[in-house]
Amino acid sequence: MSNVEYPREILESLEDYNIDIRDFLPGHGKGAKLLLDFNKIRGMEDVDGVILKGREIENGIIADVIIKEGTKIEEPVHLCFGVNKETGIQEIFPRIIAEDNTDATVQAHCSFPKANGLIHKMFGHFYIGKNCNFTYSETHYHGENSGALVAPVGYVYVGENSVFENTFYLTRGTPGKVKIMIDIYAMKNSVIKSNIKAFGKCKNDSVRIRDSVFLEGENARSVIKMKAVAKDGGEVLMFGITEGNAPRCNGHVECSEIVLGKGSICRARPFIRAIDPTSSVSHEASLGRFPQKWLDELQAKGLTEEEATQILIEAMLQEER
Amino acid sequence: MLLEVKNLTIPTLDQKCVILNKVSFEVKEGSIHAIIGPNGSGKSTLAYTIMGLDNYKPSEGKIYFDGIDITPMKITERANLGITLAWQEPARIDGLSIPRYISLGIKDKANMKEEIIGALKIVNLEPERFMNRIIDEFLSGGERKRVELAAAVAMKPRLIILDEPDSGLDMIVIEDFMNIFNKIKELDMTILLITHREDIGMVADYGTLLWRGDALITDEFPKVMLRYCAKAGLKEFCKRTLFKNGGFCVDEDYIDRIFREEGQS
Ligand SMILES: Nc1ncnc2c1ncn2[C@@H]1O[C@H](COP(=O)(O)OP(=O)(O)OP(=O)(O)O)[C@@H](O)[C@H]1O
Ligand SMILES: [Mg+2]
Repeated sequence: MSNVEYPREILESLEDYNIDIRDFLPGHGKGAKLLLDFNKIRGMEDVDGVILKGREIENGIIADVIIKEGTKIEEPVHLCFGVNKETGIQEIFPRIIAEDNTDATVQAHCSFPKANGLIHKMFGHFYIGKNCNFTYSETHYHGENSGALVAPVGYVYVGENSVFENTFYLTRGTPGKVKIMIDIYAMKNSVIKSNIKAFGKCKNDSVRIRDSVFLEGENARSVIKMKAVAKDGGEVLMFGITEGNAPRCNGHVECSEIVLGKGSICRARPFIRAIDPTSSVSHEASLGRFPQKWLDELQAKGLTEEEATQILIEAMLQEER
Repeated sequence: MLLEVKNLTIPTLDQKCVILNKVSFEVKEGSIHAIIGPNGSGKSTLAYTIMGLDNYKPSEGKIYFDGIDITPMKITERANLGITLAWQEPARIDGLSIPRYISLGIKDKANMKEEIIGALKIVNLEPERFMNRIIDEFLSGGERKRVELAAAVAMKPRLIILDEPDSGLDMIVIEDFMNIFNKIKELDMTILLITHREDIGMVADYGTLLWRGDALITDEFPKVMLRYCAKAGLKEFCKRTLFKNGGFCVDEDYIDRIFREEGQS
């Protein structure tokens, strides 16, 4: 399956993120992969220790990814959900299981370069066993027309002594209407890191993200970082929730948002709750514009105010490396 | 003269008092010119005013750069004329890589990488270690200041204003800094060096003493330094460190005279 037919527009659509989807296609790279073109599976490859199954359903697919006990994979498992059409409905039901003592990264690329009335929905279930190191990263591109409606929902269970890292990037192109909800349940001694970055560029962009972490096990720890920019009428709402429900657990939520141009709206609602007296949960939220001093410093290097602002957006929304 | 500051008065934002009071001095092209003065004497204010920050508009006076009146110009315009400032406390703009940050002011886009490496070398940061790093909380304070300096130098400005480049650095690196200043000078940049350390000031050719918003004297650096010591009543310090062993060629009688003029014994 070396020469998969796949729309060039999708392959090239994540170039601004420095991602070339071709590197992940069947026949390329060593990782397990599943490639979806709208609602058709175009390619699937698994590797030792990773079970990958996909089944087409009416408006989408059910995809199962199982990392078998003790497996440590270096190459990420790649899930590519591309749609090269203006309209339609794509519904994805991923079920992702990382068995005990595994070490794996799953990378999802969701690209809808021509979206203009397109609907993408996802209902994901994640089960992370004990002593795992699991990273899930999702990078989105929704074209330039603010024409997508994207609504992913994820439930994540993170077992004892495991590290779960989640990153979500929607910083290039126009988001359209996006509603994301993730609930993460953290067991004893687990560590959760969640990084979310989004950019609403115009009045047809509205991004709402609710990221919740429930620290259910003793000594569980979490950090949620949400960063967003809303420009020229765009709207971003970030809702970071952390509950400390177990002894000595420790959580932190950080929301920072920048508002630029007329009619843009940024809202941040960190919501924290601690019901165990030995737990500690904190939050930090900042909304507004970039500090004048930052702009001055860049302007002293010869940049105009607009260029300086652009650089600051770039820095803020930079993908973590 | 590369820079001429004439009668410059900067009021506070509420216009109730002045931070700089009719300050005048000149900076010769190719020189290192130090601005010295105690905390709060107006050194940073002067730097911001020359750079053209919005909140530092003179109520009186003018600034000329290479004969051009830059007083009405915005910060970006001044930067494009060849003026830049390395801040006393540069911001930590998390997320930008060091090479990206340094590249912002580089005009020669074709040789970007060489230019960045060159700038890192000037400030004594090893390119192998710093080309892949990001400006984040893991960068030490001294490293951040060097990156700032590298970014300023990379612009190849004609006038580089350094606001306390030595603050936050330990003694050992002071010598390192002398060496950096000399390298910058060799690149045909004029340095306006703000400091209140006499040892750093030693590299300067000329100096201006700011005292509570007044520019008291502009002269060869040792004379300015001597006046500073006299103002502050630091005679022993002055004799012991600054003018010992003919480091600065003045005799004791001269020192005594200056101190008497300032009403110090
Ligand atoms: N916006 C302002 N409103 C009122 N006072 C101000 C304002 N900005 C600066 N000042 C005052 O002006 C004086 C000069 O400040 P400046 O920062 O220029 O001093 P400096 O010589 O750089 O001091 P340091 O050696 O501590 O860096 C200080 O007393 C400061 O408090
Ligand atoms: Mg200062």
